[in-house]
This record gives sequence, C-alpha cells and structure tokens, in this order.
Amino acid sequence: MVVDLVPQFVPSFFQSLYTPALYGGLIVAFISLIGIAMQKKDIHILILTDLVGLAMLIVVAAVGTDLAEALVLPGLVVELAEIMAISEILISREMRKIGSEKSFVPSSFSLDMEILYTAPNFIALILIAYGAFLSGFTGGAVAGGGIIIYALSRTARGLPVVVVDGISGISGIAWCLWIIGFVFFFVAPQYWLLSLFLAAFGLFLKVASKMGLIGILMREEFGRK
Amino acid sequence: MFDLSIWFYFGMVLTIFGTIATVWGPGVKDPVIRTINTEVAGIGVSLILLTYNYTLAVLTVTATTVVCTLILFRAITRLEEIGADV
Repeated sequence: MVVDLVPQFVPSFFQSLYTPALYGGLIVAFISLIGIAMQKKDIHILILTDLVGLAMLIVVAAVGTDLAEALVLPGLVVELAEIMAISEILISREMRKIGSEKSFVPSSFSLDMEILYTAPNFIALILIAYGAFLSGFTGGAVAGGGIIIYALSRTARGLPVVVVDGISGISGIAWCLWIIGFVFFFVAPQYWLLSLFLAAFGLFLKVASKMGLIGILMREEFGRK
Repeated sequence: MFDLSIWFYFGMVLTIFGTIATVWGPGVKDPVIRTINTEVAGIGVSLILLTYNYTLAVLTVTATTVVCTLILFRAITRLEEIGADV
C-alpha cells in the first residue's frame, strides 16, 4: 500500500512506527474533538484546542524525515498565534457581555523572591547568547525566553526595563531582513550564504522581539499596582 | 540499553492519557487544572519527537508549550478578574 510511496532514505524503524503514530494521533484528535463538542464554555474550548494542535504534531511527525521537522515549526507558530488572538477576542467579548461598569484592572500581584532580584541578568544573558548562536526560529524562541524572564522580573538590576520596551520596535525591521534574504535566494543565488544569514537572523530578531512583547504584556498585567 | 520504540510507545501512552485527563479528568471544571493537565500530553509529544530525532522540534515544542500556558493563564486570570463565568 503506502510502502511504495515511501522514499528510500527513510529508516525502516521510522517506517515501522508510521501506522501506530498515525492511529495514535487520530485517537488524540478524536478524544479532544469530542471534548470540544461537549463543552459549553469558551475558555475550556480554547484550552482543548491546544490538544488538537498536539494531535496535528504527532501526525506530522509520523512522516519521519526532515520534511516533518520543517512542517512542525510553522505549525507551532500558527497554533501560538491562533491561541493568542482567540484569547484576546474572548476577553474583549466577555468584557462587552458583562458591561463596562466593571473594572478590568487586575489586582496587584507582587512576588518577593530572592531569585527575582539576583538571577535574571545572568539567566537572560546566557539564554540570549545561546539563542544568537542557534539563530533562526529556535534561537529566537530561546532568546525570547530570556527576554521574558528579564521583563517579568522587573526588579532586576542592570539595564532599565524601558530599553526592553524599545526592542519590540525591531520586529518590523527584522521581518524586512527575512524577506530581503528570501528575495536574494532567487535573484542572486551565488550569495546564498549571505541570504541564509539574513533570513536566519531576521527570523531570530523577529521571534525574540515577539516573545519579549509577550513578557512585557504579562508584566503590565501582573505588575500593576 | 533499551529498545528505542519504548520511548515512542511511552510517549504515545502519556499523550493519550493526558488527553483523556484533560477532557474527562477529575476537577477539570476548573480551567487552571485543565490547563495543567495539558502539560502531560505536551510531555508525551516531546517524547515522540525525541524518538524521531527532531532536535529543533523538541526545543520549539518545549518553548511554545510554556508560552501557550502563559497566554492561557493570562486569559483565565483576566476572565476571573472581570467576573466572567469560567
């Protein structure tokens, strides 16, 4: 059946896992879709959507080549963006439903832990350096994790947190770098190394600044006095 | 030392178990508990990707699972803050 379609370079071990992975992904998708169908409340449906994304990952992973890895990364980004957008829509809809006389300022949330005063500089530095070394989407995610830690623990000594706010403006320029890198691939293929690095670091800056933005959002949310 | 497929099947069992726990598990009326149960399935998927040698995918899944949890917790706390029925 499908065995004829499988390329020769897929290891036989991954081929033997294809059927269980496919059926496992379908089972997970089936259970979580039943859960979505039975739920009435919107926030629970949003949480269960996360599980459908995981089922998608298993089915994609069953391909067993580098193609699967290339498909997993955009799938994850789309899922993340979708959850962010839907949660914002959900919150604003609930606000409208309840009426605007309620205050939507969250109560203050103050943490007093030693690690928030001393560690963030070091951890953020290590994560950002390692992310810059990785480059590309993964590097952006790692460095963005560092920025989130730094932004969330706003009592860190060192750079003022206002500087981190400015970083989010880089996102648009980084996106342009990425597109220029892609155009260069087709216009001038002999400069492939340059365009590869443009694309990799453009994406790195873009993802890192996006995740830094999430961190700043969370800090605004919880750090309000 | 171990047969490699042990990790695959262990990941698959964790994923299915975590999915059932998220959908019908005890105490899932509370959205916070439901969100935390999602992590079990997330660990299972990480094990499956680890069996397939997808380094970048494992790193990215770990990072985005954390960010997803942060976003969901923000949505939940905000909805509870404005007094919505969650």
